[in-house]
Amino acid sequence: MVGGFFQQSSVYMPLLAIVTAFVLGGVVIWVTSGSLDTVFLAYEGLLRGALFKNRGLSESLVATIPYIMLSLGIAVGFKAGLFNIGVEGQFYIGAVAAAWMGASLQGVPAIIHLPLTVLAGAIGGAIWAAIPGFLKARTGAHEVITTIMMNYIAFRLTEFLISGPLRDPNAAAVQTPRIAPGAELWSLYAVPERLQDPLNALLVALIVAGVGFVMARWALPRLARRQRDEGRAALLNSALAQAGVGVVAGLLAFAALPALTRLWWPFTDQYDRLHTGLFVALAASVGVWWLLWKTTIGFELRTVGANPSAARYAGMSITRNIMLGMSISGALAGMAGMMEVLGVSICRCLPLFFSSGYGFDAIAISLLARNDPLGILLSSFLFGAMRNGADLMELTSGVSKYIISLLQALLLLFVAAPPIVRWLYRLRAPGGREESATVTRGWGGQA
Amino acid sequence: MTPALQAIGITRRFPGVLANDRVDFELERGQIHALLGENGAGKSTLMNILYGLCQPDSGEIRVNGRPVKIASPHDAIAQGIGMVHQHFMLAPPLTVAENIMLGQELKAGPTRVLGGLAVLDRRTASRRIRELSHQYGLDVDPDACVKDLPVGAQQRVEIVKALYSAADILILDEPTAVLTPQEADELFVIMRGLAKQGKSIVFITHKLREVFAVSDRISVMRAGQMVGSLAPAEATREKLAEMMVGRKVILAIDKAPAHPRQPLLEVEALRVADDRQHMSVDGVSFHVRAGEILGVAGVQGNGQTELAEALTGLRKAVSGHIRMGGRDVTRATTRHLIESGVAHVPEDRQKHGLVLSFSVRDNLVLCAYYKPPCARGIALQFPIIEEHARNLVRLFDVRTPGTATPVGSLSGGNQQKVIVARELSRLLSHQADPAGPPPILIASQPTRGLDVGSIEFIHRQLIQARDQGAAVLLISAELDEIMTLSDRIAVMYKGRILDTLDAATATREHLGLLMAGVLRGDDAGEHAQPAQQITHGDVKAS
Ligand SMILES: Nc1ncnc2c1ncn2[C@@H]1O[C@H](COP(=O)(O)OP(=O)(O)OP(=O)(O)O)[C@@H](O)[C@H]1O
Ligand SMILES: [Mg+2]
Repeated sequence: MVGGFFQQSSVYMPLLAIVTAFVLGGVVIWVTSGSLDTVFLAYEGLLRGALFKNRGLSESLVATIPYIMLSLGIAVGFKAGLFNIGVEGQFYIGAVAAAWMGASLQGVPAIIHLPLTVLAGAIGGAIWAAIPGFLKARTGAHEVITTIMMNYIAFRLTEFLISGPLRDPNAAAVQTPRIAPGAELWSLYAVPERLQDPLNALLVALIVAGVGFVMARWALPRLARRQRDEGRAALLNSALAQAGVGVVAGLLAFAALPALTRLWWPFTDQYDRLHTGLFVALAASVGVWWLLWKTTIGFELRTVGANPSAARYAGMSITRNIMLGMSISGALAGMAGMMEVLGVSICRCLPLFFSSGYGFDAIAISLLARNDPLGILLSSFLFGAMRNGADLMELTSGVSKYIISLLQALLLLFVAAPPIVRWLYRLRAPGGREESATVTRGWGGQA
Repeated sequence: MTPALQAIGITRRFPGVLANDRVDFELERGQIHALLGENGAGKSTLMNILYGLCQPDSGEIRVNGRPVKIASPHDAIAQGIGMVHQHFMLAPPLTVAENIMLGQELKAGPTRVLGGLAVLDRRTASRRIRELSHQYGLDVDPDACVKDLPVGAQQRVEIVKALYSAADILILDEPTAVLTPQEADELFVIMRGLAKQGKSIVFITHKLREVFAVSDRISVMRAGQMVGSLAPAEATREKLAEMMVGRKVILAIDKAPAHPRQPLLEVEALRVADDRQHMSVDGVSFHVRAGEILGVAGVQGNGQTELAEALTGLRKAVSGHIRMGGRDVTRATTRHLIESGVAHVPEDRQKHGLVLSFSVRDNLVLCAYYKPPCARGIALQFPIIEEHARNLVRLFDVRTPGTATPVGSLSGGNQQKVIVARELSRLLSHQADPAGPPPILIASQPTRGLDVGSIEFIHRQLIQARDQGAAVLLISAELDEIMTLSDRIAVMYKGRILDTLDAATATREHLGLLMAGVLRGDDAGEHAQPAQQITHGDVKAS
């Protein structure tokens, strides 16, 4: 093992788990197919399908996006001591809410409609998750049970809504109406075209300004600390400078982006489904990291999750934090569902048979990432790539694509039980008190 | 004779600390061997290594002269080593019997095998536990739920658990930290009995009185090294203290007479129920004035815990009144009380006082994280939090590799110092602000598990806080601590305050009798009224 980075057990343990899972998976393929060649053929197909075939990488990323959002949701819950198994249901409700909001307004420009629809998805998921949160806070009903039950309610409710009140009367298939163009999440291919509309350019400029402002707030004080000249340091530290950076970035984006993207844009394949939700997912993981580790809200959530008695001692409200943790978790999951409708589904609508299974994989992803937002980006990509590469693997090697589930299950096993990996590689347990993967607390006496 | 247990050249390094540095240790058969050392000296680490909870980087362990490898507690138990940990290792939702059987379910004895399935035989286990507790005078109820038991009783469960596994070598890591002096004395009788039967015992403590009371041999550690080993006859308190700290320690503490002013904390006819709806605080009235320390003496489990919880908003009062700085706060939330000036050193440090997985610096702002200067809006201000932590770590001499170290990896005494540092610093910041909230400190067992040097330091801090006008309610099972620090002493027995004495004239014997409930307040001579009315009268008089 080289370098300090890889000497952290939070880094090398998941890596070892991945390697071990693939090796064991290979053994299974070898045994079942009877030939060692098949193993290499299969993994080669998996890799090619996931990365190198035409649109391979972007399809992997398309699957990565909901994984990121859902596992962020689960991670927020975990940190607050809540095992939100219900992300799948919240994903559904977010999707329905977004489909409804997206289709019920027509002719509204994206600058208004898109944020509204995103919000609808988030709120839908948040409400769905807040119900088990409320039950837990008030009655002590364990969220593992209630969120699973809420999943089934969500599935059936969605079916009812799609085939009843929200059904598109003009479509042959049972599905919701196509959402208005203003509510669509743009595919990357369509960005240059979209930007020709000044209102859309304004929307992008506002987002760029916001990002610029946040980055300036982060970077300028650090620059200021290195300045020797006091006047300049004060200037860099001023709110004016930070706002200035944001405004300038926004203005530049507004003025230059439409023309620039016209001149040159890397996404030229009109069948490429990769969409701007990728940026939303990246922003969400930075946001979750910031919320959990840099704010008082995250401090409270983590305290309640790690030691509710100490949280009470410190004057925190357990009830409030359970509700809040569940709501944030559900909002992220709801946004995942929203993005599937607004950005991915071919019909830009919610069809009746809308089964994802993303939510359950996401539990494995956040465990693999140990609830760390950066880790979640990487693990989500791993799962997205496996999900996407599986088809080509089956095609080239004849190995069933469900072997992916086996790989993921092995991975989960090794991640959840580090002693197995340690034993396999004869590693010593880390010195400190290990951050135990407290998945959930007991059934009784919650706060 | 070969020693029962021998450690040779044990070395163990943790990130940033050398916890054990070529430590040699020898335990003779039938010996009670006291192990002393400052907080963080490496005592628990050495014991954890002997019990297989932690692996040494190098060194050798011999049991009865044979080199052995102890890779896990399982191996240790197989070698006849049992351990009672500094922090409880019990599963709170399970019963006492289940906890004791835990990990030993499949050993011969209380399991029956039914068609290939091992069945837990709770009845036999309960019986054996009753026998053991009878035999050694350790009062435990096998069928009680551990989470309902007070700390003292949980400690007894731990000891019974070690005895239950039929260990020949017993490691007791600060077993008396949570016991009252009477309970400790009972434990010593048990330990003597065990030693007579040929069992060997390692006994870690910070209390020099106990060392002389029970040990056959004394070893002292300092900063990861074994400083020396001597017989009790060669030792004096001063010598031991000096070996531990590396310099002379002043064991006595002098304090100026108190100048109490207006009452800051007033409690009137307070009744508080415990989890089982039993009135554990049953009509208590008292007051604490600015600039004085009121000690609450009493055998643990007489309502002190519930009293402290009621005063800090963690438990709702059934009836009665609590006033702080003249305002009624009976129904106030914990957050409100924190804001209105109450600092609280909780009795159970790992349950209430700390978040073990959080860093030292985060734990130091556990009650202040949400307001300036620690936070601006919702954004935590890390440079300020870090500076705050550095200051307190330095001031309170918390032995830690850094402020980012998880508090759970500090030694027990240093964990306690983190809590005391946080709460005293809040108190001081209140005092610094004349328009601020009334400074009130509720300190439950503030020096539990601290070494002599640290106790001395914390005591000075408490007296200093008093002299600067804080009202201090000191709840302690240590009669010595109560007597050195308090200006007045209230004795609690069965949820009531039997009497409140002037500390200058109170004697150990008198207090002891009151604590045992033998003497009632009205027998005390100086007061002719029943206990309750006396304290009532006190409130009105002031
Ligand atoms: N799991 C751990 N990870 C990192 N450091 C540790 C760990 N356990 C102990 N240490 C460090 O090793 C040193 C010795 O700790 P140890 O618990 O052995 O002290 P101790 O003598 O038992 O003190 P106390 O009297 O306070 O219980 C301390 O500096 C502590 O911070
Ligand atoms: Mg210790």
